[in-house]
Amino acid sequence: MEQVPLYVLTAAGLFAIGVYGLLVQTHLLRRILAVNVIGNAVFLLLVAWAVRDGRPPDPVPHAMVLTGIVIAVSATAFALALLRRYYRDTGRVSLEDREDGPG
Amino acid sequence: MMVWWLDGLLALGLLWLAWQAVTAPRLFRSVVMFIVFGLFMSLCWARLAAPDLALAEAAIGAGLTGALLLSAYRALLVRHGAGREEAPGIAPALARAIAVGSGVLFAVLAGILLTLPGAEAPAGREALARMEELALDNPVTGVLLVFRAYDTLMEMGVLLLALLGARVVAEPLRAAGPGPWRRPGLSEPVLVAPLVALLVPLIVLVAGYLLWAGTTAPGGAFQAGAVLAALGVLLRLTGRLRPTLTNSLYERAVLVLGLAVFTAAGALGLGTEGYMLSYPAGWSYPLILVVETTLMLSIALTLALLFSGSNGFRGAR
Amino acid sequence: MALVLAWGLILMGAGFFLAGTIGLLRFPNVFSRLHALTKADNVGLGLLALGLAILAGSPWVALKLALIWLLALLAGTVSCHLIARYALREQGGREQARP
Repeated sequence: MEQVPLYVLTAAGLFAIGVYGLLVQTHLLRRILAVNVIGNAVFLLLVAWAVRDGRPPDPVPHAMVLTGIVIAVSATAFALALLRRYYRDTGRVSLEDREDGPG
Repeated sequence: MMVWWLDGLLALGLLWLAWQAVTAPRLFRSVVMFIVFGLFMSLCWARLAAPDLALAEAAIGAGLTGALLLSAYRALLVRHGAGREEAPGIAPALARAIAVGSGVLFAVLAGILLTLPGAEAPAGREALARMEELALDNPVTGVLLVFRAYDTLMEMGVLLLALLGARVVAEPLRAAGPGPWRRPGLSEPVLVAPLVALLVPLIVLVAGYLLWAGTTAPGGAFQAGAVLAALGVLLRLTGRLRPTLTNSLYERAVLVLGLAVFTAAGALGLGTEGYMLSYPAGWSYPLILVVETTLMLSIALTLALLFSGSNGFRGAR
Repeated sequence: MALVLAWGLILMGAGFFLAGTIGLLRFPNVFSRLHALTKADNVGLGLLALGLAILAGSPWVALKLALIWLLALLAGTVSCHLIARYALREQGGREQARP
């Protein structure tokens, strides 16, 4: 099946894009998006792996990704709650990168 | 071959949308692109023979995550235009190099993974072979609730933990969640009430069907819970449910219901079969249905409360 | 024959989607964009669903597709109405925006 290598390469591309976003973006909402892109890249690899030999798809990766999707949304919700509280307390949307910052 | 076109377009679309979501100059555009990215992922799961995932992704990945992101975007907009963005502490060229390197590493590891000879009987084959014992026809449900039930149990714990964490750091209630829908002096748009009246029974029906069908066809507690959570989001957004600081005993009970019933069913197996999380012989189908129903209710309320940014709900008036 | 008809309907539906999308991208303001998007996409989805129903050849699937189309119509109508209302209010047309 040529489908599998195509999607695996796509997953690698998504992973790279996510890492790039995580490195160059300072806005925390954008960083949350980047982490989600990375997560989706890993999900894509797992699900492409599940159909690698053309037999009926392996249900274990599917179940793991299903669990992962729910965990990802709850972690995103928690991160957004943290971000909103941080913004409310400091009025900032990015973290202080420099070492000499307070805290 | 047309199918090839479809996969290729889907892959290119995914990459372009992810790039836009990560680098678009306007934050709003990023968020919208990410939501469309979720929809494309859903198509991707359908192409990769994973209809369970396609359903879950459409409801959770694109739907609920999108609602959460838009609501957070709006909250950040309140004071100064989504906040000023600071320059990154890393040179773009270095970041590009690291990103490309990590992508290549990912691809190499994935290539090795795909060419590994693999075990004679991996867990998935074993699960497929043993599906007849379970009176279930959907192998994904079988893996989630029987063969790897520990994962699902722990996941319910993580979900509860995320809600508790979000409550600990939450903003004061008047700033929480999406903004007030019914501002004073602003009447509700005409079409909203009929829409809600039609959608509420329909959503309950769809969630019930997904839950019931989940034993034999794509669907199950996660998809049904996400659809029910969307109902909570709809009612919260249209002012039918008000956020509250306190939660009732019922709400607390529903939040831990899935975890409690799942653990109890697992302990039952410990008593009769000698293994934790194995179901007593002959009882697996009804027990799985009960566990799935309670999981659905807990997932739905947890996700709805995470969106609402409140401890509980109260009906308007 | 049915196959030709089904694919014809699907291609026509895709044409409507294309026209609606071009309208969304090219039209100057919110209202004309909404007009292009919702009008063209509702017809496009209807034709698409009809074509798929013929391809599926089962009345149950056809019924489900019809239901999906109706739901999309409903959601499209309401969200179009809400966006238009919001845009009108932003432009100061508050009196007209009242239902």
